[in-house]
Amino acid sequence: MAKGRFVIGVLLLGALAAPIWGSRAQAAEKPKKTVEKYFVPDVVLVNQDGTKIPLKKFLETDRPVMLDFIYGTCTTICPVLSASFVNLQNRLGTDSRKIRLVSISIDPENDSPKVMKEYMKRYRARSGWDFLSGTRSDIDRVMYAFNAYIANKMDHYPLTLIRYPGDGRWVRIDGLMSASELMEEYRKVSGK
Amino acid sequence: MTALRRRTPSLRADARRTALCLLASLFLSAGVFAADRKPEPVPMPKEEALRLGERIYREGILPSGEPVMAIVQEDIPVDGTMFSCTSCHMRGGLGSNEGRISTLPTNGDSLYRPYEDTPVPMTTVEKNFKKFRAAHRRPAYTDETLAEAIRLGTDPAGRRLDPTMPCYQMNDRDMAILVSYLKVLSSETPPGVTPTNIRFATVIAGDVAPEDRDAMILPLEAYVRERNSRSRGLQRRVRMRASMEGLNLALRDVSLARWELRGPPGTWRAQLEEYYRKEPVFAMLGGIGYGDWRPVHDFCENHRIPCVFPITDFPVISESDWYTIYLSKGIYQEGEAAARYLRREVERVPETTIVHVYRDTPGGRALAAGFEETWREMGLPSPECRVLRGDEPVTGKLLRSLPAKGAHAVLLLWAGPEAAQALEEIAADPARPGKVFLSYSLWKRNPGTVPDKARDYTFLTYPYRLPREEGPYGNMARAWLAAKKVPLNDRRIATRTYSLIGVMSQAFGKMRQNIYRDNFIDSISVLPDLLYPDYERLSFGPGQRYASKGCYIVQLTHGAVPEIVKKSDWVIH
Repeated sequence: MAKGRFVIGVLLLGALAAPIWGSRAQAAEKPKKTVEKYFVPDVVLVNQDGTKIPLKKFLETDRPVMLDFIYGTCTTICPVLSASFVNLQNRLGTDSRKIRLVSISIDPENDSPKVMKEYMKRYRARSGWDFLSGTRSDIDRVMYAFNAYIANKMDHYPLTLIRYPGDGRWVRIDGLMSASELMEEYRKVSGK
Repeated sequence: MTALRRRTPSLRADARRTALCLLASLFLSAGVFAADRKPEPVPMPKEEALRLGERIYREGILPSGEPVMAIVQEDIPVDGTMFSCTSCHMRGGLGSNEGRISTLPTNGDSLYRPYEDTPVPMTTVEKNFKKFRAAHRRPAYTDETLAEAIRLGTDPAGRRLDPTMPCYQMNDRDMAILVSYLKVLSSETPPGVTPTNIRFATVIAGDVAPEDRDAMILPLEAYVRERNSRSRGLQRRVRMRASMEGLNLALRDVSLARWELRGPPGTWRAQLEEYYRKEPVFAMLGGIGYGDWRPVHDFCENHRIPCVFPITDFPVISESDWYTIYLSKGIYQEGEAAARYLRREVERVPETTIVHVYRDTPGGRALAAGFEETWREMGLPSPECRVLRGDEPVTGKLLRSLPAKGAHAVLLLWAGPEAAQALEEIAADPARPGKVFLSYSLWKRNPGTVPDKARDYTFLTYPYRLPREEGPYGNMARAWLAAKKVPLNDRRIATRTYSLIGVMSQAFGKMRQNIYRDNFIDSISVLPDLLYPDYERLSFGPGQRYASKGCYIVQLTHGAVPEIVKKSDWVIH
C-alpha cells in the first residue's frame, strides 16, 4: 500500500516538477557520452536461470539493448545502476519488453545463477532484463571488447552502453544518470 | 549517511533534487514531518530502539515492517529492500571507496565531530587524504542537521551530497530510532583492544597432529613478531614527529593467544567461553581442526568475534552468518562442483543416469550435501543414492550391483583409496559406468593411488590451483615460510596460513584507526581479488564468506606420478 502510494507520489511529483525545473538535470559534471562501434566476442555466458546465452547473438537484436557491468555484492555503484534499470522497466510498463536490458557480472566467481537470481528478485526485475555471468576469461573478453576492462572489481565505474537496433552502433555513457536522462537516451535510440 | 564525492551538481539540479525529496517527503508524511525538525525522543527502551535502528540501517526495513522509501540520483525511486545504508557505508559504518565514489563514515563518533583537515601529513597517502578532507570540511552534525542530510541530502556546511546518497522518506519517530543507532555504531572500543595492544587468538580444535598445528601457528607467530618489531620502530619515529592519524593500528602491538580445545566437541563451547572470559580477544586468526568447525563458528557468531581463515575441511555453510570468513566451503565445495559439472553433462546427454554413493563419514556427508543441495537448487531430481556404512568395504561386486551401467552412467563415489581395488576390477567390464567421480580430498590427496587402469574413466574434484600453475605464487610463499623454518606438507596448512597473513596485512591497512570488529570484516570484504599458492583466486565482497569459489574437475595421466589435467573451468556455472 505504502509502496504503491510512493510510486504514484513520485510520478505525480515528477510530472509537477518537470515544467518548473526542466526535464533534465543540468549537473555540472554530466555523464560523458560518445558513440562507439564494438565487436562483441562470441562467448557463451549463463543467465540468472542457468540458461546458456550466446552473447553476440543475444545482443544483435532488432530491439534497443541497454548494457551495464555490475556484481551481486557491490556496495555503491551497481545498486544505483540496477535501480535505474528497474525504474526504466517500470516507466515503460508494457513497452518494457521492447528493450533488452543486460547486466554483465564483473565478479564471475561469486555471481552464480543463484546469486544473480536473488539479486534480480531484490530489484523486482521484470522479464527483459538478464544478468549474465561466465568464466573469468570470457568475462574479461567482454570487458575488453567494450573498453571496460578493470582488473579489480572495487575499481569499477558506472558505465551504460546502449545499442541502436539494427546497425550495431553503441552509445557509451560514462557516469550515472537520473531516470529522466536514461529515459531520454532510450527514446533517442529507439526513435520514440 | 553522507555519500560524498568530489562532484558538485549545478544549482538547477540541486533545486530540482531538493524539491523532489522535500515534496515526496511531505506527500508521504503529511502532518508528521518537517525537514528541519529535531527527531522526537525515542519512545521505547534503548535496546529496542537499537534493534530497530540496526534493522533500518542494515536491511532498510522500518519499525512498521515496511521498507524505507527513498529517491536516488535525483529522481529514481528505490526502497530499502534494494539497498540500504549498509550497502555503501558498510556494516561498521566507516564508509567505503568504490571506483570514483568515496562514502564517508556514518558512525556517531565521526558524524558528531567536525570533519576537518588531518594534522601534519607525513606520507603521500596522507597528503592526498588531507586534500580530500579539505574539500569536504564541515561542522559536527546535530540531530537536526543529520535528519536533514538523510532526508534532503545536504550536509551541515550547506553542501549538496552526491546524488548517489538517497533522500530517505522517514517520519520523525523512525528518524530518531535510526539516529540513536548511528550514535552507538562503532563507538566503543571492542574487547581485546587497549591503547597499546590488540589481542588475537588462534584455536586448536581437538586432537591435531603437532606438525599440522605448527604449520598453522608458526607462520602466524613469526608474522606477529615481525609486525611488532616494525610497529616499535614506528612508535619511536612518531614520538619524534607530529602525531599521525590513521596509524593507530600500526602503533599498537599485536599479541596472539593459543586456545587449545580438548575433549569431546560438546565441551568446546564452555572452554571457549572460559578462555574469552579470562582474556577477551578482538578477533580469531586462523585456527585448525580436523572436525566440524561449528562449535567455534557459533561461539564467534554469538559474541560477534571475527574469525578469519580457519584451516578446516568442514566449515559451516551459511548464507547469513557474518563473523567467520573461510578460505572455501571445504569438502562441501567439491560436491557442489561435481553437481555443476554434471548438470552440463545431463543437458548435453539427456539419457545420462547418475548414481550417488557416499560413505557415512563427515567427509562423505559433506560431499553428498554439497552435491545434493546444488543439484536441487538447479531444479534437478535427486539421483538414486546409496549410503555406505563407515566400515563397509567397496568391492567390485558392490559397484557392479549398482544401477550405474553403461556409457551414459555416472557414478559419484565419495569414498577413499580403499575403493581403488574395486575400480581396477571393473575397469574392463563393458557394463561399468562411463564415468566415475572421486574426491581429491577424500582420496587422501594422493592421486597416484587411483589405479592406472581406471584413470580413463575416473574424474576427480580438485579444489586447488593446478600444480603446474603454482609457480611464482608457491615460490614466494615457500621462500617466506622456509625463512621462518616452517615445515611444509601436503595438507597446505602453512601456505594457506601464508594467505591469511597477506589478507590480514591488507585489511589492517584499510582499517586505519578504526579498530572495530565489523570494520575488520568490512575491510576484508573490500579487498581486491588476491592470488596465492593454493587457490586459483581468492575473492571478497560484502557478505561473501568463502574466499575461494572454485574447484576443478580433473583427470589423471597414466604412470606412477600422474599429471593432473583439468577438464573444467575453475568456477563452473
